[in-house]
Amino acid sequence: MASEIDIFNEYPLHMDPASKAISLIATSAQTPAQKADITAELEELNQLHRSLQTLDPPNIPPPPLPINPKRGAQINKLRDTANAAYRKSNYDEAIRLYTYAIEMGIARPGWEPVTLTREELSALYANRAQAHMAKQAWPEGLVDGKCSVDSKPVANVKAWWRIAKCLAEMARYEESKKFLAKGLEIEGRDSEGGKELIGLLEDVEKALLRGASA
Amino acid sequence: MFDIDWLSLAVPLVYLGILLGSLATFSSLYRKRKAHKAASLEPWFPAHLQRDIYFSLLHLEPSASSTKEKKAPAIPDSVLKASLLRRASEDIRRIMALRSQKQALAMLLQRGSVGDDLWQRFQRAEKEMEDEVKDVVSEANAYAPGWGQTIFQSANEMMNNDIYRKRMREQQSKVEEERQWWDKKKTSIQESFMKELDDNTSAPTTSAATKSSTKSSEETKASPAPAASVQGSDDDAVLVEADPSANIPASPASPAGGGKKKKGKGKK
Repeated sequence: MASEIDIFNEYPLHMDPASKAISLIATSAQTPAQKADITAELEELNQLHRSLQTLDPPNIPPPPLPINPKRGAQINKLRDTANAAYRKSNYDEAIRLYTYAIEMGIARPGWEPVTLTREELSALYANRAQAHMAKQAWPEGLVDGKCSVDSKPVANVKAWWRIAKCLAEMARYEESKKFLAKGLEIEGRDSEGGKELIGLLEDVEKALLRGASA
Repeated sequence: MFDIDWLSLAVPLVYLGILLGSLATFSSLYRKRKAHKAASLEPWFPAHLQRDIYFSLLHLEPSASSTKEKKAPAIPDSVLKASLLRRASEDIRRIMALRSQKQALAMLLQRGSVGDDLWQRFQRAEKEMEDEVKDVVSEANAYAPGWGQTIFQSANEMMNNDIYRKRMREQQSKVEEERQWWDKKKTSIQESFMKELDDNTSAPTTSAATKSSTKSSEETKASPAPAASVQGSDDDAVLVEADPSANIPASPASPAGGGKKKKGKGKK
C-alpha cells in the first residue's frame, strides 16, 4: 500500500532538443480525448516553462509577496498616457492605450498575487468603459464595466454606474435596475457614489414607468 | 504407564482443529474480500495528469540516455520545475475540492443518505493528497532549498490567476454578441423613428437616419407630448431617455479628468 504514491501512468513524451518543448508521441494506446487533454496540458507546461526561463536562476517563481515593481510601473505609465488622451477627447487613442495596458496586466506571470492583478485590471477596464461610453459604444462599455465589477466588486461605484448607464442607453432598463440595486447593496446608499447610483436609478424607474404606461 | 487413549483424544483435537481452521479461513477470506473491495473502489479523482507527466519526464531521462547513448539530451531542470509547479497547482485544486466536499459528505453520511463506500473513497483520497503534498514539497526542496515552503503559495496564486483570466476572457468574448444585438436594435429604432417622422411630416427629417440621440432631443423639444404618446413603444422610451443623458454629460466630459479617480460622465 505504501507504494501507491509511486504508481503513475507513463506517457510517451518527447522533448525537442532545441526549444526544450515537450510533446506527446502519439500512440494508439490513448483515446483521442486523452490525447487532447495531454496535449493541452503540455502546451500549458511549455508556456510555463518559457516564463520560468525569464527568471533569474535558480529559475523558481519567487514567493508571491515582494512584487517586482517593473510591470506595475509600466502599466501605470500606459494608463496615465491613456488618461491624458482621454482628457484631450482623443477617445480612440485612449481605448488603444487602455487595451495595451490591459493586455499587459493579463500577461502578468501567474504566480504574482491575483489580488494585485484584479485591482489593476478593474481600474483599467473601468477607464476603458468610460472611453467607450464617450464614443457612445454602449455594448463595449457594458462589457468592460462588467469586467471591472467582476474584478473588484467593492469600492468600484464608478463601474457599477457605468454598467447601468450603458444598459439604460440601450433601453435595457430592467437589467440596468438590477445592476443598480446590486451596486447599491455593495456600496451603501449613503456614500458619495451611492447618491449617483440612486440618481440614475430614479431615471431608470421613470423610464420603466413610461414604458409600462404607454 | 500412561496409556494414552489416542482415539478418544483425537475427537477433541479434531474438533479444535476444525474450529480453528474454519475460523482462520473465514477471517482470511473476509479480510481478503474487504481489501479487494476497498481496492476496487473507484478513486475519488480522475488520473492526476500533471503528476503523470512529471513522473514520465523524470523517467524519460535515464531510459532515453541509456538506449541512445548521448543522442537524447537530458530533460533540463527547468522543465521539471515547470512540471512540478503544474502538479502543485493541480494538487491545490484537488485539496480545495476535498475541503469543500468534506462537510457536506460528513453530514450526508450521518443522516445515512450515502453509503459507507463513498466515505471510504473520500478518506482514501484525503490520505493520498496528504502524501502527494509531502512528496511535492520534498521534490521542490530538492530543486532549490527553501522552495518547498513557497511552491504551494505560488501554485495557489497561479490557479487563482488562471480562473480569473478565464473569466475575463469569457466576459470579453461577449462583446461581439452585444455589439450585434445593439446594431440590430439601433437600426430597428431608427426605422421606427423614420416611420414616425413620415407619419407626422411636420418634424424635421433631414438628419433622421444619422443620429438618433441628437434627433430625439429636437423631436422632444419640438413636440414633447406626441413623442412620448404617439407610439409609446419601447423604442420611444430609448430616445426620450437618451436625450437628458446626452445633454448633461456633454459639458463636464472634458474636465472630468483626474486619472484613476475619474468619475463617470455627468458626475460633478
